[in-house]
Amino acid sequence: MNQTTTAVRATGLTRIYGSEDAKVTALSDVSVEFERGQFTAIMGPSGSGKSTLMHCIAGLDQVTSGKVWIGGTELTVLNDDQLTALRREKVGFIFQAFNLLPTLTALENITLPLDLAGRRPDRSVVDRVVDTLLLRDRLDHRPSQLSGGQQQRVACARALVTEPEVVFADEPTGALDSQTSAELLGFLRQSVDDFGQTVVMVTHDPTAAAYADRVLFLADGRLVGDLTAPTADTVLDWMKSMERAAH
Amino acid sequence: MLRAALRELLAHKGRMAMTIIAIALGAAALVASWVVSESISHTLVSVDTRTDVGVSVQSLHQDAALTPADRDRLAALPGVRRATGVILGRAGVVSPDGKLASAATSMDLAGTNADDTGRMVTVAGRAPSAAGEVAINADVARRNDLAVGMPVRVLVADGRSEAATVVGTFDYRTLGSPSTTDWGSDTVPTVAFDAQSAPGLLGDRFSRIELATAPGTDLKRLRDAAERVVGGVSYRISTGPELARDARERATSDIWDLRFTLLPFAVLAMLVGMTVISNTFTILVTQRIRQFALLRAVGASRRQVRRTVLAEAVVLGLAGGTVGVLLGVALGPGVIAITRPADDIDYTVPPLAVLLGYLAGVLITVVAAYGSARRASAVSPMAALRSDATVPRDIRTRNVLLGVGALLVSAALVFATRNPNAGTASRIVAIGGAVLGGLGVLLLTPTIAGAVLGTVMRLMRQGGRPALRFGVRNAARDPRRTASTASAITVGLALICAFASLSASLSTLIGSTTRATVPTTTTVLQPGGGNAATLDPADLTTARHLPGVSAAAASRDMLVDVDYPGGTTKRRASAIEPEALNGLLTPHITGGSGDLRKGFVIAQNQADMLGLGVGDPVTLQITPQTSVRSRVAGVYEATELQSSIYFDVSLAPTSLRESVSVIYLTGPDPAAVRARAEAAFRDRPDVTVTDQQGLVAQGVEAQRLAFVVMYAMFAVALIIALFGVVNTLALSVSERGREIGMARAVGASRSLIRRSIRVESLVISLLGALLGVLVGVAVGTVMQHAMLGQRLSAVTIPLDLIGAGLAAIVLAAMLAAAWPARRAASTAALSAIAE
Ligand SMILES: Nc1ncnc2c1ncn2[C@@H]1O[C@H](COP(=O)(O)OP(=O)(O)OP(=O)(O)O)[C@@H](O)[C@H]1O
Ligand SMILES: [Mg+2]
Repeated sequence: MNQTTTAVRATGLTRIYGSEDAKVTALSDVSVEFERGQFTAIMGPSGSGKSTLMHCIAGLDQVTSGKVWIGGTELTVLNDDQLTALRREKVGFIFQAFNLLPTLTALENITLPLDLAGRRPDRSVVDRVVDTLLLRDRLDHRPSQLSGGQQQRVACARALVTEPEVVFADEPTGALDSQTSAELLGFLRQSVDDFGQTVVMVTHDPTAAAYADRVLFLADGRLVGDLTAPTADTVLDWMKSMERAAH
Repeated sequence: MLRAALRELLAHKGRMAMTIIAIALGAAALVASWVVSESISHTLVSVDTRTDVGVSVQSLHQDAALTPADRDRLAALPGVRRATGVILGRAGVVSPDGKLASAATSMDLAGTNADDTGRMVTVAGRAPSAAGEVAINADVARRNDLAVGMPVRVLVADGRSEAATVVGTFDYRTLGSPSTTDWGSDTVPTVAFDAQSAPGLLGDRFSRIELATAPGTDLKRLRDAAERVVGGVSYRISTGPELARDARERATSDIWDLRFTLLPFAVLAMLVGMTVISNTFTILVTQRIRQFALLRAVGASRRQVRRTVLAEAVVLGLAGGTVGVLLGVALGPGVIAITRPADDIDYTVPPLAVLLGYLAGVLITVVAAYGSARRASAVSPMAALRSDATVPRDIRTRNVLLGVGALLVSAALVFATRNPNAGTASRIVAIGGAVLGGLGVLLLTPTIAGAVLGTVMRLMRQGGRPALRFGVRNAARDPRRTASTASAITVGLALICAFASLSASLSTLIGSTTRATVPTTTTVLQPGGGNAATLDPADLTTARHLPGVSAAAASRDMLVDVDYPGGTTKRRASAIEPEALNGLLTPHITGGSGDLRKGFVIAQNQADMLGLGVGDPVTLQITPQTSVRSRVAGVYEATELQSSIYFDVSLAPTSLRESVSVIYLTGPDPAAVRARAEAAFRDRPDVTVTDQQGLVAQGVEAQRLAFVVMYAMFAVALIIALFGVVNTLALSVSERGREIGMARAVGASRSLIRRSIRVESLVISLLGALLGVLVGVAVGTVMQHAMLGQRLSAVTIPLDLIGAGLAAIVLAAMLAAAWPARRAASTAALSAIAE
């Protein structure tokens, strides 16, 4: 429970959608911790609550019960403005698609969170991120002039540029081919290894999960497995055993 | 942030242009009305007003005209250097081609005596100095092509005329506020005779005596002294500075009057513009939910998102304001030409007007966009992650409750003010109620659209072609989107129907009283020149003795103070021979009797307004000295525009008995009477011979400005309505690229898409149009009630105009849908998948 080693912590997280007559329990009593400087993948069948878990611990969605801390700040007691500020300062996001504002250039998209905070971008951080993601010669391009992989790299740069407590990625490679996926996952890995970034990523792909330090398995809104130092094979085995359990 | 907003605008030029035009129309209307009223006031104020008169002694009634003896006594007061009497008398200039020169001033007050007080400044030629010489007002000369040296004929009192030569033209400098119709103020004369001939031609009584004073005279004391010489209610004695101050105040209040006639245009244009703008923003925001969600996810606060949208609104407002200011300044001269055709107005553009234009542009845009901005800021950051993201919509039930509430309150307000009533307050309440009802319907449109289209869809489930089913289903699926498009049409058509009903009611109104009251067999003699002119009393005698005339009467119209049990008010009254109401005129008596010997015969509408019934006591205060006290003998049917209070002429004071407004004649052979009258007054261009038809035409002409205003409103409504239809339909289709692409992907043919979009547009525009007709006719009914003082049931509904408007709007909607339908049909199936 040391704050210096735990980036994100959630206890007894439950999320129920809908009202009495049409209740869906997307998460039930999930408790989880994410170590600082660790790359965690979240896996599970479709509808198992992966996205819900991510939204709840990222402060995007309200929880029904339970508590969430990001870097020592408890989320569930924050109001909208405080949550917004937290997202801006301590959280980075990479979504599956539609990550960028079409009217802004790549550079402007990257510095958008700083812009919103009214902060002057730190040149050295921007340069480092841009160079790491090999975006130097694309900075003046609009999203429509970039390939899907390049767009995801810009999104990744945007998530990293604020040096957040944690980066959340929901199927960031879902719309990319294997070559481009590998590149993007390589960059995420690099940010963890070189800069001590904390990354939490939802994925369906065992190969993608293999880039992580740890894989969490969800089924029916419950945490059902926790695998450290995964490889594509161990992940696949896990998934198969889960499928068998389901049948 | 701001950068993103600006680029967002630039990325959608067509949409931006539409919105800018909508903003510009409102701003232009405001700027034009402000510039016009400012120009007119500037001209009025800069009129060369005299400040060189010490004290003016003004007679207020022709009965109390001042005499040469008064002048001599005033001249004898201490401090008075000289006393000059100003004669006002009947004079009309007949140009060499035999036409009566048109002049702003009533003919009865158009002649004066030339003097050297500085009233008149010679523009060309010289002042008249001998009999047979006249000087003419320079404006009148210019307008009627009269020049120095021309021989003219001048018509004076008693049907006499004088041959004269124009020896000069003059500009008139008024003392206090200028007037064209009022004996009791400084009227601008048309003709000046030399001082010696004037008393013989115009009479030797003065309208005013001006006292020139020695320097250093205490004007207030002199004024008090003059009051002791010619005191009483019939005179107004003022110092020169007092008059100058009054004139300035009058000019200012005139200008506010003018502003109040012009500003409704601006308000209307702005309100309608706002519906277009808010529609545009609704769609703009809907198309960009993902972007807003993304912004929220990466750390934009609600306030920042709201501000982004509002920043766009401000930029559009400034752009629209610029266009509006330019347009308004360009339109100004046209508006002046319509509202003040007779005057030379110096066109000035005050900086305030420009500022107001920008302010209005920005303000209406921001207000119209505010709801959308709030909805955008309420987008959940989660929406960035979902493909079926929707803008959070306002709680429907709240809108339904508000809508029903508005309708109920509206009905209550209209019901409470249903009686024709003089009070401005109750009229405003009535119109306010009607507008509130309209808003209620707009709030309920989504619910109505849902209910109606849902029913249509259920009815069609069995049959119908695929395009028809597809189109109706599309319209029914999102009642709020359908409603926002339909509302643009509703508002436009409601305005059209309201103004069409109002103008139809007004023209019915103008005709109906005249047709009912003046039979076709009656020949009518009217004064020919100027407004509020009167005929010569001698003309009545002449007319009465024409061969074949069996009955002749004259109406003397005047404004009087009416004392009635409920209070005192100014109303028009007509003194007439009692026999006249018995065939010569045929007022439709609805209560009591039409016998003037028993008392007053009063218009139904006036009776309604004043709460008078047969037998109620009324006093007409005709001049400060003369009043007529009697009871209401009968009530006749008439409307606000032409209503009057008839009383027996034998009760009127002599001077009024002689100021004949209209003469009515008839005889066993009406055609012969008319021919005789025409022959008898052939060489009298100051007398017009006409009949019922002529009067109706004049009534319409007299309301020309009102009709111009209404048709202008009509045009504004039509333009904005068409505009809103095109705008919203185009946007609502472009909003759905993905959806349509998806339909194409699963196998809808191009022509199916095209036809179903057309069906959808037709369904939406019909719905909007029908609601518009309902709202418009209802609002129009209340408007004619409130603005024309009629009963609610007296509305004339112009089915042809409304039908034409309906057809035009629906046609426009179909044409407007053609382009988006084509575009939709050419949507690639791919666009469902691509962003
Ligand atoms: N806004 C919502 N309203 C109602 N139910 C929801 C909502 N969002 C998610 N759910 C339900 O919660 C459950 C978990 O959804 P979630 O999106 O977390 O699944 P997931 O694991 O991310 O699935 P996938 O792999 O398909 O993205 C599902 O049953 C889903 O239907
Ligand atoms: Mg998911």
